[in-house]
Parts: sequence; structure tokens; C-alpha cells
Amino acid sequence: MDTTIIGHRTPRVDGEHKLTGKADYTVDWQADGMLHGYPVPASIAHGVLETLHLEQARAMPGVVDIFHHDHFPELYRSPSSAAHQDQVSEVRLPFEDERIYYDGQYVALVVAESFEQARAAAHAVRADYRQEPGAVASLLDTEQEGRLLESEGVCRGDPDTAFDQAPVKIDHTYHIAAESHMQMEMHATLAEWRDGRLIVHESSQGVVYQHKALARIFGLPDEQVEVVSHYIGSGFGNKLFMWPHAVATAAASQMLGRPVKTVLPRQQDMESGGNRPASRQRLRLAAERDGRLLSMRHDSTTETSFVHAYVDSLGSATPSLYACDNVTISQRLLEVHHGTPCPMRAPGETSGIHALETALDELANALEMDPLELRRRNYNRSDPAKDLPWSSKHLDTCYDNAARRFGWQHRDPTPCAMRDGDEFLGWGMATASWGAMRMSCAARVELRADGSVMAACGTQDIGTGTYTVVAQTVAELTGVALENIEVRLGESTLPAGPLSGGSMVTATTLPAVAAALRDAIDALKEAATGEGGAFEGSDPQRLEIQAGALVDQQGTRVGFAEILTTLKLGSVNGEGQAAPGDEKRQYSFRSFGAHFVEVRWDPGISRLRVSRVVSSIDIGRAINPAAARNQVEGSIVMGLGMALTEKLDYDPRDARLINNNYTDYIVPCHADMPDIDVELLDNPDYAFNEFGARGVGEIGLTGIAAAIGNAVYHATGKRIRDLPITLDKVMTL
Amino acid sequence: MDHSGPTREGGELALALTVNGEARRLTLPPNVTLLEVLRDRLGLTGTKKGCDHGQCGACTVRVDGQAMNACLRLAVMCEGQEVTTVEGLASEVGLHPVQRAFLEHDAYQCGFCTPGQMMSASALLEDERIGSDDAAVREAMSGNICRCGAYKNILEAIHTAREELASQRKEGGIS
Repeated sequence: MDTTIIGHRTPRVDGEHKLTGKADYTVDWQADGMLHGYPVPASIAHGVLETLHLEQARAMPGVVDIFHHDHFPELYRSPSSAAHQDQVSEVRLPFEDERIYYDGQYVALVVAESFEQARAAAHAVRADYRQEPGAVASLLDTEQEGRLLESEGVCRGDPDTAFDQAPVKIDHTYHIAAESHMQMEMHATLAEWRDGRLIVHESSQGVVYQHKALARIFGLPDEQVEVVSHYIGSGFGNKLFMWPHAVATAAASQMLGRPVKTVLPRQQDMESGGNRPASRQRLRLAAERDGRLLSMRHDSTTETSFVHAYVDSLGSATPSLYACDNVTISQRLLEVHHGTPCPMRAPGETSGIHALETALDELANALEMDPLELRRRNYNRSDPAKDLPWSSKHLDTCYDNAARRFGWQHRDPTPCAMRDGDEFLGWGMATASWGAMRMSCAARVELRADGSVMAACGTQDIGTGTYTVVAQTVAELTGVALENIEVRLGESTLPAGPLSGGSMVTATTLPAVAAALRDAIDALKEAATGEGGAFEGSDPQRLEIQAGALVDQQGTRVGFAEILTTLKLGSVNGEGQAAPGDEKRQYSFRSFGAHFVEVRWDPGISRLRVSRVVSSIDIGRAINPAAARNQVEGSIVMGLGMALTEKLDYDPRDARLINNNYTDYIVPCHADMPDIDVELLDNPDYAFNEFGARGVGEIGLTGIAAAIGNAVYHATGKRIRDLPITLDKVMTL
Repeated sequence: MDHSGPTREGGELALALTVNGEARRLTLPPNVTLLEVLRDRLGLTGTKKGCDHGQCGACTVRVDGQAMNACLRLAVMCEGQEVTTVEGLASEVGLHPVQRAFLEHDAYQCGFCTPGQMMSASALLEDERIGSDDAAVREAMSGNICRCGAYKNILEAIHTAREELASQRKEGGIS
């Protein structure tokens, strides 16, 4: 469709709120009589809590109460069902038993009049533990294999025989350290009970899910709960599903009859607020001498905690990415004694594609073939995993464009062969990919007598630009100016919208908003053609909406504000629903892209830097190209950290987290920035939805660490199969 | 400036400072940080807490013009000082050039680190010791983490704001 607002760059509609300090993040909310909660974390990772010494803390100024195993209400567990939208990050309730399953697990919640008082008292709580031997810090520190998850297995063809008989093959194992989301706004809850109704402000990527989970846990009817999250200081997956701090805070508020706010300190956020699990992956790839893949075997193990089985599905993209008849995927899960992992941006596939794309680079070396050429030779036109054609695949264009912009044709394939002064240059590439998902969604729209339009949906804007793309959709379909459009998100009492995850919000939400808008426009036409209306007696079918006015075939135009005012109507309303349909049986939906990376390695001073990234990504239509490009650039930055610096360090002796802060867990900063050149192709995928958008929040993170690692190999001749590629590894290997 | 320091009143301390041009008097315990005073006691929640350890820069404010981490500064150390927060960045004529440039360049995503980024940016643009090339600006901004990774757009926004401030100076606007 021809568009004037969708697909065009426009400043964010919530931008001024964010730039003036008016945006109301959860941590900014206060309530009358509000108390402050501060959790007390366990200081062992494996054992039993024997005694809590609370006398000193209780006697401290401002302390109102201290909740713990022997002083906490009986609650229900949430069924934690994705289908019923009551999924939680940890099914175990806070203080449920006296076992300690991981470092940082809450043993108490101190509630006091001020933040400083709560913090001081929490630090004064002493605990006696009976520590047990055998704490497993990470799957990187154990020989244990974990249990095989039959449901995650995939097999097509005869990969074992094909592998054994192939002329060229590689067999390598890759490790990735656990990562922390490090979202800027820490997990936070403000809970308040009003006449038996629970109102929670939470920094959440899923208000509807938290609403339902709280209702189950407190045994309340759904109508008695409300969850609000207007602005979120990002999440990257660890705010999808509720964590125990929210349950403890809501229970404390209920017992004390006053609002309670808990903001996790950064250290606790890192210990117990989610992480990307460490992984071990064995990749066995086999090919003909011409590069055609004969067999792909991808065997993965990820870790989880002892209180919640989180599975990071590492092999889910592998059967779809390349043409290969013989593929097998397996996944194991190993329980370890650190905080529960959860989805982190492009969960599963970020790790899985890293290993696959590194293994392909190794295979290209074994074949003495250009790594880009190897990928081209195994290009597929349909999804071999589903035996369905791709709805819209332009990866070949991504390869062509990014290679040209990067200058790939000038690459000398020999490692350590390209130099610039004291520095070795390394050039590497990898494919990026992320599945396109869409869920069912509801929305509401009001056309108001003051000329404004309100669109509402119970999804969230976590920084991806959802407020803006919803406003753009309304503007596109009505011709109303963006400044006259109000978008309401982040309230669980609004029509049910999707989690802000899986890169699915745009494709899920916009069709529902459009449906609600059309319903409202129909209501407007009906009113306008009825008694006393501006188009009384006309056929509503013959009216169109243009620039905020109804127009008939004679060209008579009347603004909707005037129509409503004349009829003494405050507004007309529309409700809309949208859901994926039959298209899933006709096509497979997935986005693709390519990253090309240059690193510079100065062996004299052991300095390794990423100097240049060129990416071409096909996400269908970008509703707002500025915000979409920002997502890919931000993903590249996050991938730089994953590749070179990010690692949650769990002490192998006692499984305690060592680097629980921004200084010891190193995320990329301004000074680390390479030149980043991102191209977004613009091929609307109308088979997926009427706006042609497939989502953009995650794909940029897939493949980038592999492209960096492949470039490091090219610069140094050293293949480092364990992330992050820290300098010690480059120097000692 | 009065160097006599804050006075003790019943275990709490008296503090007088200026915030965004407005004189403020408070009585508070000595362990309260400037960050908590701004957010909890003065309701200026634009300044954010990202780590409470001076590691992330989200709480950057300007104290007597200098960019500082409000979480690392006890409030009582600010006696007689002038504090500017993100709420004080815009003026009656509209958004500050840094704010306008951030809007134009989409120099944020979630927006949580943004007040701190802008306070650091506004300070570096007035600091003649800091060069205007990419490397100098990146180095000077490296105390402000943006986990969304909008660094490229932040850099472009700072360059644009510098040009606008320069042209304003030429026209005799902001000095």
C-alpha cells in the first residue's frame, strides 16, 4: 500500500516525555503513605537457611516489618502457563521453604519508612546457613551432561550416515558464558491495595501476564488486579514474566495496609533477576567438496536453576537456515546453583546461530572456500523445516549489498595477511536470522469530539517505539496529525495485547489497532448518515475518511469533530481484534540479514577492537525506519559485548556471583563504538500482515558475535570457541 | 559561597541549595544522597538510578556546572551549590539544543539513561578542554552507559547540538 506516514521516519511521539524527565517509569511512582522494601539476599548458593537474626534490624529507625519464611502469608503458585498467560519467571514463591537454591535468593524483605532505613536494616539482618557441598556454579564448570529434552529434538534425513560418509567435515564444541541483561532500570514494583483490589506498578514487558499471574497467586478474580507499566527502562527479556520480588512486595503491602515499593539494587538484579544461560554446543557439519551441506548436527546444553526449568532453545533456527537434507538437533538441560535464567534478546537463537555461523566459518576454511560463498551455495528458497515457501526472503540481496558496502571482494582469505601499520585486520561475516511471530491482540480506538483520536492496547513500549508506530498507524488510516493522537499502552485493564518480546509487538498490535479504528470509523459513518448527521440519508458505504474528515462522492467534507459535536456525541468508539490466520499453513515467516565485521588486533599492546560493522537486514517493512534502524544498531552494540566482554562470573568454589555490577561485568560504552552502517531492505511482507512488518528488535543480535569471532580468527589465526573472546584467550591460545 | 557547612538539627542536618534555579531548604539524615533528595524529596524523578554506585551515569546532574553522579554525592555536601537536572535543561523558549538534537536523531530507545546522557552532553559542550571529534566526544561520554546501544545516534545528536549552540552564540542568543 502507498503510505505517507507508515514507513517514514518521524520523531517518537513519546520523545518529549523522555527528554524532559516527565516519562513515568515504575521507579518514579510514589503513593501516599508508601513504604520501601529492600530484599535480603542469601549469601550462599546451596544449603539451608537455619536462623535469621532480625532483632538488630527490627530495632532500627523506621523499620515497619520484616517478612521471611516464618512470617509471610500463604499464597498459591501460579500455574505458569504460556497458553493461559500466567507465566512467571520463577514458580517458587518467595520464602516458600528454607532451602537455598542459588546465591542471592531472597531470605527476607525489610520494609521501612524510607529507602535509606530499609537498606540499612537489610544490611543488619544476619543469617546462619548450613552450607552444603557440591554447588555447581555453571555448566562451564562441570562435566555433568544434563537431561535430554525429547520435546526439543528434531531429525530429518539420515544425518549420522551422511556425516560419516562426507568428504569434508568439522566437529567442534563451543561455549558461551552466561550473560546479564543489564537493562538500565532495575526490576521494580510498587504495590498498593485499594478495597481488596491489587494495583501494581511494575517495570514489565508483559502487563497482561503479570496481571493474571498475580490473580492466580493471590487467589483473586481477574477484575481485582491491575498492572501498570507506562515506561520501561528496557528489559531485553528479563521483564517478560514476573519475578518473586513483585510477589513479596504485593504481599507485604497487603499485610501492612500501605503501599510498598521495592526497587532491586543492581547487585540483586544481576543475581536473581534473570540471565542468559551459559551454553555448550557441539556442531558437526559435513559437506561435499563444492560446499553443499550434507549433514548438520547441532547438540546443545543449557543451564537452568533448581527452582524453575527454563529452556533456551538453541537449535531452533538451525533446521531452517540452509539447504541441507540431513539435520539433527538435540537439547539438554542442566540444573546449576545460580539465579534462574530467562529469555534474553533473541533467546536461544542468539547462542545457537553463534555456534552455527562460527562452525560454517570453520567449514569454509576446511573447504578453502570464501565463507560468504559457502553460505550462497547452501541458500534455500523455502523453509526445509516446515516444507513451506518463505513468505518473503531477500537474504541474497542482504549478502550482495552488505558485501559491497563492506568491500568484501578485497579480502585476502589468509589469516594474519591483512595489515594496517601495527594492526592486523580481520574480516569476518555471518548470517542473521529471527523468526517472525504474531499473536492475537485486541485494541480500542476513540474518535473524540475535540478532534483527537485515542488508541489503546494492553501491550508495552520498552523503548522499541510502540507508542510511535501505533500513532503512525492511526495517522496513516485517518489522516489525523500525530500531535492529535493519544496512544495508551502499558495497562493490563486495556484490551489484551502481547508481551513485548519475540519481536512480535508491531506485527501483532498494528492490525488490531487498524481493526478497532475501522470499527470506530464505521460507527462515525453510521452516526453521520443517521438523523441529524452531516450526511443524513447518505449511504455510509460511499463515505471515506480523509485528513480527519468524512468525504462523500460529491466531495463534501466534514471533519469528524464537527460531525460528533453536531450530534452532541463525545466520541465514537471502535473495538478490534486481530490474529494470525491461514497464512501460517501457506508460508514460513522468518527475517534474514547479514553482518560483515572488521576487527583490528594490535599484538604489540594486545589490543583488540571492532572497528567496522556493515549489516544489511530484511525485516519486511519498517514502520518507523529511524526506530527500526536504532534497534539493529543497538543489537550490534549488545553483540559486541557478547563477543568480547560479557560474562557472568560465578565462583566455581561456591557458585556465588563475583561480578555483580557495571564495573566488573563489562558492557559496551561510547568509547567502544565502531563505525556502524546498517541497511534495512524495504520489502513489505504482506502475507504476514497488512502492514508488511515482521519485527526488528532481535534479529540484529543474531550472528553478530559469530561475525566478530570469525574476524578475530582472520586477524589472528586463532579460533576462539568460547565467548567472550577476552584478551587472555587471544594471547594464550 | 558559605563554607560553614550544614548545621545539625536533632540528628538530621539542614541543607540549603538551589535546584534548577529554585532555592530549596531541607532537613535530612546525613546518609541521603543527592540522587535520593532529587527523586524522593523534591519529586524530580527525571534523574535516574541505574546502579547507585557511580558506574552507569544514569544519575548525572550538573553541580555548579560540572557533570556529576548524583548517587555518589551526599546531599549535605551540596550546601550552597547550584544543581541542574534534566527538568532544568529546557528554558521558557523551549527545549535545550541537546534535547532537540536527541529527538531529531532518535538518540535513545527506552529513555532511562537519556537524562544522564543529556546532562553529560550539555556539560561537555561547554567544556573547552574536550575536543569536538568523534573520539574525544566518545571518550568524554563513556561514563554514561546506554544498554539499548543508541550510542551512534547520541554521538550524532551531540554534534548537531554543538552546531546549533555555535549558531545561537553567533546570533547572540545563549552565551
